[in-house]
Amino acid sequence: MGILNIGVSGLNAAQSGLLTTSHNIANASTPGYSRQQTVQSTNVYLYSGAGFVGQGAHVETIRRNYDQILSRQVLSAEAGASEMDSYLSQIRQIDNMLADSDAGLSPSLASFFKGVQEVAANPTSMAARQAMLSASQALSTRFQTLDQRLAEVRDGTNAQVATQITQINAYSSQLSEINHRVVLARASEVGHEPNDLLDQREQVLKDLNKLVRVTAVSQSDGSYNIFIGAGQPLVVGNQAYQLKAVRAPDDPERVTVGLVGPGGTAQPIAESQITGGSLGGVLRFRSETLDQTQNALGRIALSLAQNVNDQHRLGQDLAGAMGQNLFNLSSPRVTASSNNAGSGAPTVAIDAASIAELTTSNYELAYVGGNYQLTRLSDQVVRNYGSLPQTVDGITITAGSWAPAANDSVLIQPTRDGAHNLSVAISDVRALAAAAPIRSSATLGNTGLGSIEAGVVNGPPPANANLQHKVTITFTSATSFDVVDVTAGSTLASGVAYTAGAAISYNGWTTRIRGTPSSGDSFVVESNVNGVADNRNASLIGALQTRSTMNAPSGGQATASYQGAYAQMVSNIGSKANEVEAIGAAQQSLADQSTTSLQSVAGVNLDEEAANLLRYQQAYQAAAKVIEIAGKLFEEVLALGR
Amino acid sequence: MRVSSSMIFEAGATGISRQTSALLKVQQQLSSGRRILTPGDDPVASARALEVSQANDVVTQFSRNQETAMGILGQEEVHLAHAEDLLQRVHELAIQAGSTSLTPTARKAISTELRGTYDQLLGIANSKDAAGNHVFGGFKSETIPFGGSIDALMAGGEIDYQGDEGQRTLQVSSSRHIEISDSGIDVFRRIPNGNGYFATDYDAANTGTATINAGSISDPAAWRGSAVQDVEIRFTVNAGVTTYDLVDTASGNSLLTGGAAPAPLGSQRSYQSGQLIQLKSQDAEPAFDLGGSVSITGNAASGDKFTVEPSSSQSVFASVAKLIGALEAGGTTPAADARYISDVRTGISNIAQSIENVVRVRAQVGTRMNEIEALQTMSGDMSVQYQQSLSELQDVDYSKAITELTRRQAELEAAQQSFLRVSQLSLFNFL
Repeated sequence: MGILNIGVSGLNAAQSGLLTTSHNIANASTPGYSRQQTVQSTNVYLYSGAGFVGQGAHVETIRRNYDQILSRQVLSAEAGASEMDSYLSQIRQIDNMLADSDAGLSPSLASFFKGVQEVAANPTSMAARQAMLSASQALSTRFQTLDQRLAEVRDGTNAQVATQITQINAYSSQLSEINHRVVLARASEVGHEPNDLLDQREQVLKDLNKLVRVTAVSQSDGSYNIFIGAGQPLVVGNQAYQLKAVRAPDDPERVTVGLVGPGGTAQPIAESQITGGSLGGVLRFRSETLDQTQNALGRIALSLAQNVNDQHRLGQDLAGAMGQNLFNLSSPRVTASSNNAGSGAPTVAIDAASIAELTTSNYELAYVGGNYQLTRLSDQVVRNYGSLPQTVDGITITAGSWAPAANDSVLIQPTRDGAHNLSVAISDVRALAAAAPIRSSATLGNTGLGSIEAGVVNGPPPANANLQHKVTITFTSATSFDVVDVTAGSTLASGVAYTAGAAISYNGWTTRIRGTPSSGDSFVVESNVNGVADNRNASLIGALQTRSTMNAPSGGQATASYQGAYAQMVSNIGSKANEVEAIGAAQQSLADQSTTSLQSVAGVNLDEEAANLLRYQQAYQAAAKVIEIAGKLFEEVLALGR
Repeated sequence: MRVSSSMIFEAGATGISRQTSALLKVQQQLSSGRRILTPGDDPVASARALEVSQANDVVTQFSRNQETAMGILGQEEVHLAHAEDLLQRVHELAIQAGSTSLTPTARKAISTELRGTYDQLLGIANSKDAAGNHVFGGFKSETIPFGGSIDALMAGGEIDYQGDEGQRTLQVSSSRHIEISDSGIDVFRRIPNGNGYFATDYDAANTGTATINAGSISDPAAWRGSAVQDVEIRFTVNAGVTTYDLVDTASGNSLLTGGAAPAPLGSQRSYQSGQLIQLKSQDAEPAFDLGGSVSITGNAASGDKFTVEPSSSQSVFASVAKLIGALEAGGTTPAADARYISDVRTGISNIAQSIENVVRVRAQVGTRMNEIEALQTMSGDMSVQYQQSLSELQDVDYSKAITELTRRQAELEAAQQSFLRVSQLSLFNFL
């Protein structure tokens, strides 16, 4: 009787082993599947006079081979790798855009200045002027195109944030559902684990973690609580919380992550808290690279437009009028936070005098404790002001209609729209101011050996109202002179001591006299009427190409030309792409290693399963043989009675 | 270590895809000829390449400006050379005209030729370049620079200059704006008459046959420092003895005594034809020094006067016109002959000043052209240098890249073959 039972128990155990092995083979390619094993042990023995007699085997449970620590390592590495992966695929778009040397900014910048030089070489040539005007239009179009491309990338990131939030919500619902089932399964079958359910949950957690880094905390009932960011709950037991794509309160162009609260309103989560995963990568790309790049491009556009305008307005066009603005440029963007209790927003303008100090950063201006607190967001430098207006980093902030309540804030983006809104302000080639508005001459009757320089107009614009008045500089002796404004009929100065080569500055111009003028000699500075072949102002505009006009520290000297600033921007993106790729590769190999380690514990090896298959098959056959022998023994016993 | 079956496949696929992407990159580098496919490949070199390419653009622009400047200056040079030739001819004609033995017909012939030359000179001064701009108009390139009638000039007037003194410049190197034009006033108008310091003249009422030369300066510093620059030489003939007084025109005082003119006969200097008249104090005379001397030849009549004045600006056209005026004045009296000789002599000296001035401007133009030529060589060298730098920064090194391509190819093949072998191993094959 005992033998038969033992045989049957062995048969059952072997069958269970075969089932488990088959399950393993069937799921060899199932993502997240962990190898399962039967845990087999002996039945309770029976005591006989001869000692303890074994009673066969039984299967205690089916265990999965799984390692919590390795699994957590994989999750962490994969969150990092997928963050870098998504960052890289975003930054590649910009990197590739700048890769083509014909499509970047630099060819347009070069042809604009080439156009200026053409006009300097042939100020009266309509063809040269047309070339310069066309090059200006091409330059502004190129700025707009590049900005448009960046705006598309920005739209892409916004869309991605929204899509990923939808996916995250789907995963958190699944997790809460699986949690529920795990708790039920564990309650109904005490002492046994719902292996496949646990693997499923692990896999969903892994997929979720690739979207955004989450923290999973095991509970005693077998459920996982999942947290995001700085501890905001995503799944608690069988309850899933929803994320929602919301517009940032201080920047409507920015779609960000909000956590839907009990009342159904979504509260934005600080972007700095959302790290890891492809969502973290997209957010990081947007704040670290995209904003910077668009601002850097805008800064070049603004600086160029302002500098060229300033010089252009000091010139004289073909019709003899003072030059107008060559480019239209945009004002800084100011956005009042939607959480503000007060009304209105301050006015922010580019400060022409200190435009060289313009940065690529955005600023937050908050009204705190009766003070205005300005934070430069790139490096978190905080400045406190008791009152407005204030000029800082090339912008002037004026309170205007702003009536802030305490803790109200506005976002200031000085250069964001710079490239987008750049356009050419003039359409008539004759309005290009290639000439200087003044000229100088020595009177014919002069007997001394003095000569006068052509003279330059003092910046910044607008030029002095009396600039084009006819002014005579008459030497009353070899060492002193009088200056008379003939047009206004007034004496500007008398008895000025003469120093050869010293600057002589009146009515908004500066000239120099050299040599040895005699008493009675005179020099004239007057309006450059009909001076159509004059190219002095065009030359000065052309000189802006290589002059350092940007990137000045506060109150310091500019350190970069337009092309230099552009090269800096390209280099920043290149370095970032390079860095992200390197970190991504490191994270990926870390993830690969951890996965290999986990797989060596949990993965299915088909050779092993084949061996097991044979093992259990033989065990099954052997157990069957035991039953057969038990049967034969029984027959022997029956035969005794015949 | 336990190895799971899926790992074998995964590792094989990952390895192959990694090798493939590396191979693709080398292939792209080879097919595009560029080492840097995106700035991310080498951010520093990419930024540097942008800077070098701008430097190269700028040098190329300067080269173009150099060519433009060379062309414009070349044109001006041709005009100036032509003007110089014409003025040389005027000078020759003036010297021919300097002989009193010339018949009125010969004078007429000379004056006719001079009138033609005058028109040619005016033509040069008002010439236009290929773009229709007046070469010598300064900034006012659309206004005809010189105008006015020759008759007015012959009567002592001056030419009208409608241009300005603007001098166009063009940037031909990072630090050099070169002048590419000269104003008409500088070339044709602002020319000191006489000897460049002072000009001499006779009084129209002179009755003697004495003539004065243009004079010469021996001490320019003394001339510039002299308080008296307008002097009249007044002749007195008393009892067959000719003496002269030097009078400060401004004050009317005799320089020889310091008192009111005329000076007493005893204090006047005695006159000898052809002897140098020093314009500085001699012996016991009160101190004065104009730093030069003039020479008067011929017989002076009592009351004849000659003047010395600081040079004033006189145009090329006025100088030529006055010469024509002298040739066409006529008159056969000895006094008229004396006036003719004086006028022609003054004319010769004024034309010499004109030639000197045109030569000076021409030399300046030549210097500028030389400078540009030197800069052109330099720009060419720099451009080659920049292109080389750019190539080093951006371009692929073919031998390196091809070696790499071969290596990557071998690696990919190894990965593929080993994967094939390993993936075929399975215990199930034997069951």
